[in-house]
Amino acid sequence: MKKRIPHIAGALTVLFLFAFPFIYSRADYDYIMHLWITALFYAILASSWSLLGGYAGQFSFGHMAFMAIGAYSTGLFSNYIYIASAPTNICSEFKLGDMYLVFLDPIGVTSGKLTCLDIAKQNWPADVVVSQPSIFWGILLGILLGGLFGFLIGALVLRLRAAYLALFTIGFSEILRAAISAEISISRGQAGLKLKPLFGDGLTIFGTTYSAIDKLPPYLVMLFLFLFCMAIMVWLERSRFGLFIRSLREDEEAAAALAVNTVRYKILVFVITSMMAAAAGAVQAHYIGIITPNILILLQMSIVIAMAVIGGLESIVGAAVGAIIITFTLEFLRSSFTIGSVTIDMTIWRLVVFGLLLMLTLRFWRNGLIHPILLWFSRAGTKQETVATRVAAGDTDLAEVETEELV
Amino acid sequence: MIQLEINNIYKNFGGLQVLKDVSLKVEGPELIGLIGPNGAGKTTLTNILDGVIKPTSGTVYLNGKRIDPLPPYKVAQAGFGRTFQVTRAFRRMTVLENLYVPALAMNPTARRRDFRKRAMEVLEFLTIEHLRNEYAQALSGGQQKLLELGRLLMLDPNIMMLDEPFAGVHPKLMEIIFQYIYRVNGDGKAIIIISHDMDTIFTLSKRLLVLDNGDLIADGDPEVVKKDPVVIEAYLGQDEDEL
Repeated sequence: MKKRIPHIAGALTVLFLFAFPFIYSRADYDYIMHLWITALFYAILASSWSLLGGYAGQFSFGHMAFMAIGAYSTGLFSNYIYIASAPTNICSEFKLGDMYLVFLDPIGVTSGKLTCLDIAKQNWPADVVVSQPSIFWGILLGILLGGLFGFLIGALVLRLRAAYLALFTIGFSEILRAAISAEISISRGQAGLKLKPLFGDGLTIFGTTYSAIDKLPPYLVMLFLFLFCMAIMVWLERSRFGLFIRSLREDEEAAAALAVNTVRYKILVFVITSMMAAAAGAVQAHYIGIITPNILILLQMSIVIAMAVIGGLESIVGAAVGAIIITFTLEFLRSSFTIGSVTIDMTIWRLVVFGLLLMLTLRFWRNGLIHPILLWFSRAGTKQETVATRVAAGDTDLAEVETEELV
Repeated sequence: MIQLEINNIYKNFGGLQVLKDVSLKVEGPELIGLIGPNGAGKTTLTNILDGVIKPTSGTVYLNGKRIDPLPPYKVAQAGFGRTFQVTRAFRRMTVLENLYVPALAMNPTARRRDFRKRAMEVLEFLTIEHLRNEYAQALSGGQQKLLELGRLLMLDPNIMMLDEPFAGVHPKLMEIIFQYIYRVNGDGKAIIIISHDMDTIFTLSKRLLVLDNGDLIADGDPEVVKKDPVVIEAYLGQDEDEL
């Protein structure tokens, strides 16, 4: 029965996540829903980083870079690519059947600047149709580019370990941040690249129409993405893939000597986790509506790693739960309070509390705070019973005790 | 029939020549000892056979297939297995998971449960079945040696190279390793044992190779080899009786 508790708890959690937006009705609904969307966004990042760093042992600091690749890919796609029924003759464009795929020239940071498409529109007859491809193509492009860069980085770091890998990926992330910051005319740099909402025309769910600024549609998109990523990762973790990436974390040379194609699995884990980070970044970018190179700062990456560490470095579910709890905790810790005549400004001190929790976790609970609880319910409790208690009790017939989830 | 053919292997690390024109053949399920002083090139030879490092020149064939340019995982798939001088169990994986890794790597469509029975047989033979759900890091050094040997059984190679299988192992566990070697060899697999334990190596092996300073200075019957003046010279400081 004890082993079933995680499954029951998981099912109830999923049910709760779906039901919450429909049953929660307090005045701070939008604020709480925003927190949930952000928490799920970080949960995808932390759990996918857990697969990369915790399971495969690839201690990468480039995860937020892949997230940014997803965000900026869909951002640039939705800002620069249009479909027109007539040629502009001044934009970069190519024919696509009866239509023209039009690429705008750099939009720059000056809001009043006319694009080549704006100029073309002034000369076009009224019947020329101009539209934008669905933003979901942009998100898909972001995911694919995230995977492509994951492949390239995975291939480049094949021979790098530990600190070298960490430094390499920090370098990659910083190069990307510098490039986005430098190309102001294209990315708008710190001015920020604006993105359209996920459902610009609103969305109708169960007969209720939600506007573009309502929180429910982006929440459901992020929730589906989160559950989809979790399902894939849990399946991978229990499959041969999970076994092999753990073996290469433990000892790459020994794994290769036992016929494991370490190159393939190392690159694969980079590609898969990069695509997940890119997907989360793309959806979050459309939800927030604006992105800047600051999403790439090292602090952001550190927060994701800290979430994974506190939740459980070697636990996909633990990292996700850790990310959700920490997102809410950090937000609720914003409330300042007064002791006598001294006001404690928690907007600053909350990060100190967070850092302290991280240090204590690393010092005393190397497997994180959530992971041991999950283990207690599933594997470890049984293991302790079979090997220690039963042998001590003189029970030598251990064969009857099956403890694994064999996939 | 198993055939390992090592032809004129040279290996240089910068200006240091570690292996010089090493050639030998293993034909059939031989039980071979490989000895040599520290720095003789034993582990380098193992690493070349394994594919971890490439020879400066020379070739290696296993069952007619050239393996020296292949990456280690393909060498393992071709039928060569090895253990390491310092035990390299997957410490934060359970004993059973350690055994599943080579089994699944060799069988792309198989699942863990397909190898459950085989893994349990291996663990029972190695007398560590009661530790199957323990993390490998919880095992003693000797038990980890057994686990490495168990992984080789799951890999099921044609030829095994065991690097110092007896180093730091309790006599009781040594007996199990002895049984392991005899049984695996009896099942038709060739085994090359690298060891500094002369008594053991002379007891076990039917053929003895001696490497010294990168040269293969002797290859033959252990009783003949140990009387070879060149070998005695290589083990300067160790008298004939000790050899």
